[in-house]
Amino acid sequence: MWRRADIAAALLAGLAVAPGVAGGHDAPSLGDEFVKGVFSPSFVPPAAGSYELPAVKRVAGFVLRDSTGRSVSTERITAGKVAVVSFIYTACPERLGCPLASQALQDLQVRLKDEGLHRDVVLLSISFDPALDSPGRLAKYARVYGADPVFWRFMTAPSALVLEGILESYGQDRAPVYDPRGRFTGRYSHVLKVFLLDRDGYIRNIYSAGFLVPELVVNDIKTVLTEKEAQGVLKR
Amino acid sequence: MIQRILLAGFLVFGSFGSAAADETCQSPFLPKVTGQEDYIYVWTLGVKGLGDGNDSMVTVDANPKSPFYGKMINRAPVPGRHEAHHAGFTDDRRYLWAGGLDTSQIFVFDVGSDPAKPKLVKTISTFVKDTGGMVGPHTFYALPGRMLISALSNAQDGSGRTGLAEYSNDGKFIRTIWMPKEAPYGYDVRVNVNLNRMLTSSFAGKKNYMRPFGELVKDGEAMKNFGGSVVVWDFHARKPLQVLSVPGAPLELRWALLPNHNYAFTATALTGQLVLIYQQEDGTWATKNIAEIGANLPVDISIAPDDSKIYVNSFGDGTLRVYDVTNPFEGKLIEQVKLGEMANMVSSSWDGKRLYATNSLLSQWDKPGDYWLKAFAWEDGKLVTKFTTDFNPVGRAHIMNLNSKAFGPRAARSTPGDRRTSTNVASR
Repeated sequence: MWRRADIAAALLAGLAVAPGVAGGHDAPSLGDEFVKGVFSPSFVPPAAGSYELPAVKRVAGFVLRDSTGRSVSTERITAGKVAVVSFIYTACPERLGCPLASQALQDLQVRLKDEGLHRDVVLLSISFDPALDSPGRLAKYARVYGADPVFWRFMTAPSALVLEGILESYGQDRAPVYDPRGRFTGRYSHVLKVFLLDRDGYIRNIYSAGFLVPELVVNDIKTVLTEKEAQGVLKR
Repeated sequence: MIQRILLAGFLVFGSFGSAAADETCQSPFLPKVTGQEDYIYVWTLGVKGLGDGNDSMVTVDANPKSPFYGKMINRAPVPGRHEAHHAGFTDDRRYLWAGGLDTSQIFVFDVGSDPAKPKLVKTISTFVKDTGGMVGPHTFYALPGRMLISALSNAQDGSGRTGLAEYSNDGKFIRTIWMPKEAPYGYDVRVNVNLNRMLTSSFAGKKNYMRPFGELVKDGEAMKNFGGSVVVWDFHARKPLQVLSVPGAPLELRWALLPNHNYAFTATALTGQLVLIYQQEDGTWATKNIAEIGANLPVDISIAPDDSKIYVNSFGDGTLRVYDVTNPFEGKLIEQVKLGEMANMVSSSWDGKRLYATNSLLSQWDKPGDYWLKAFAWEDGKLVTKFTTDFNPVGRAHIMNLNSKAFGPRAARSTPGDRRTSTNVASR
C-alpha cells in the first residue's frame, strides 16, 4: 500500500535536489477528489507463479556512470539477477510522474528486503537527462528516496548517443518540451514505464502508472524467479 | 486487497495540462490528447476501380481554426485491399497499427514524426503463422510496450473460433491466447486497469464476414454461427474467469470511465439490445438488457466521458441514437439523428463536446452509396452538424482515431543539446 505521508515527504524533500526548476516538486494531493484519467487500482493481484510472463524483447547492455561517477556496465550489474528498471530525471516536476516511479521503487526495496529477495533482484533508475543529472545530483536524489546503494543503483548516460541507444533498446519514448517561443523548458515528456527484466536480460513486463502496483510487481518477480522453463517464443 | 489510491500521470507531459480530449474508448495505457483534436485518421477501404483502389489511412483536419477544417489533408495508401477495418495507437502514440480482416496483414504507420501525414513504416505479414492460425486481426489495443490484438477467425476452418495475440511495439510476436472452448468467438477487447479485468466480445468467422450480406442472411445455418457471449478475464494473468451469455453478437465494448463505475456496455448486432455488463457485490459479473435499440443492426457504440450517455450507430437504418445511461440499469433514448445509409463507427471526443461518425461496415455487407465522415457538436442540448467529408473519391470510411499536433515531433532521438537549438514546438 502507498503511504501518502511518505510520498509527500519524499517529494517535498525532492525540492532540495531540484532547486530552481520550474514547478519544482510539489507534494501530490492524493486526495479522493476525482480527476479524469486517474487510476485507482482495486484488485487482488493473481498469485505468483499462476500465470506466464512471456518475453517481450531483449535489451542491450550499456556502460553508464553510477552515482559515484564510476563507469559501470548494466549487464554486469544485472548479471544473474532480475532487474526492475525505471527511467526518471531529477528535475521532473510532475508530481505523479518520475517521483511516483521512484516512490514505487522505494516501496519495492522495502518489500523485497522483507521477503529476502534482495539478493536476487536489483533496482535501476536511469536518468533521461544526462546533461543535468550528474552522478552527484543522482546521489542526492538517491538519498532522498533512501536507496540502498548496493540494491538500488542510479545511473546516468555518459553521452546523448548512449542515452538514445538505451531508450531505443527499451522502447522508452522521451521528448524535450519547449515553450511557445521554441525554448527548451528543462522538462521532458515521456510515458511513465518501469521495466521488469529477467536474469537473461529479457523484458518480461512493463508497468505504466496504472499498473505500477508494488504487490503485483513483487508477484511478477517471484513468477520470473521460480519459473522452470523459458517463457515466450523469443527465448525458445 | 490493495487499498484504493489515486494514481495519475501515466504520461508525464510537461506543459500539456490535464487530459481533456480524446476518443473515450481508447486504452487506459494511452496518453490523452488535450484540447481540440487536430486530426482524424480514417482507416479507409479501397474500392476496385476507384483511383489506385488501395486501402489507405486518410487524415481529415478536425481543427475549426484550420483553413482545411473538415477536409482530407493526406492519404497514405497501402499496397492492395485487405478489408480495412480497425486501427489503434501504440502506448506512446508514436505509431498507429491498422489491420485487414481479409488478408490478416497489419500495417504500422508512424504518426509521431508528422501527425498530419501518417507514414507506412512496417507491414506484418506473418500474423496467421505467428499466432498459430488466427485470422482477421480486429481490435488493436495499447498495452505498455505492446499491442494486444483480438482476432475474428482462424485459418483452419474460417469459423469464429479465435483468440487474442500480443506483439511488442516493434512488431515482434509475443504470444497467442485462444478463446475458451465454451466461448470460442472473438471481436473486441477492452481493459479496466483499476479492476484488473478484461472483457472480450464475439462476432463471427471469416466464412460469414466475407460473405455477401444478402446471401448470408438467407442462410439459416450460417446465421447460427455468430457469437453470443462476453468473457470476463483476469487481465494480468490473461485467464478467462467467467463467460456471460449475451445472445446476438455483442460487438464493441465500452468501459465506464469514472472511479467506482464498475461496469461496461455493449450492443448486440443481431438482437438489437443495449446491454449493461456490471460487477456484482460478490465480485462476479452479470448482464442486463437496458434498452431495445431495435432490429436495425446496431454496430459501433461510444461512451460520454462522464458515463452519462451511450451513442449507438445502426447500420440497418443509418441512425445515431443517444441513450441516457445516468442510471446504467436503464437506458433512455434521448436523441436520434438520421446520419445516412450504413452508419457504422461513432467516436466521442474525450471532453464529450464533439462526435464523429462514418459509414461502411464490411466490403461484402455495404451497399453502393455515399461514403462520408460526419462531425457533430453538442450545442444547446442538441447535436449540430459541423461538417461532412465526402469519402467517395477515396473509398469507404471506417474506424476513426483522433490525434493532436501536440504529439508531433517528439521522438526519442532528441538530445540534451536540443535545449538550446531546437525550433520544434511540441507544446500547445
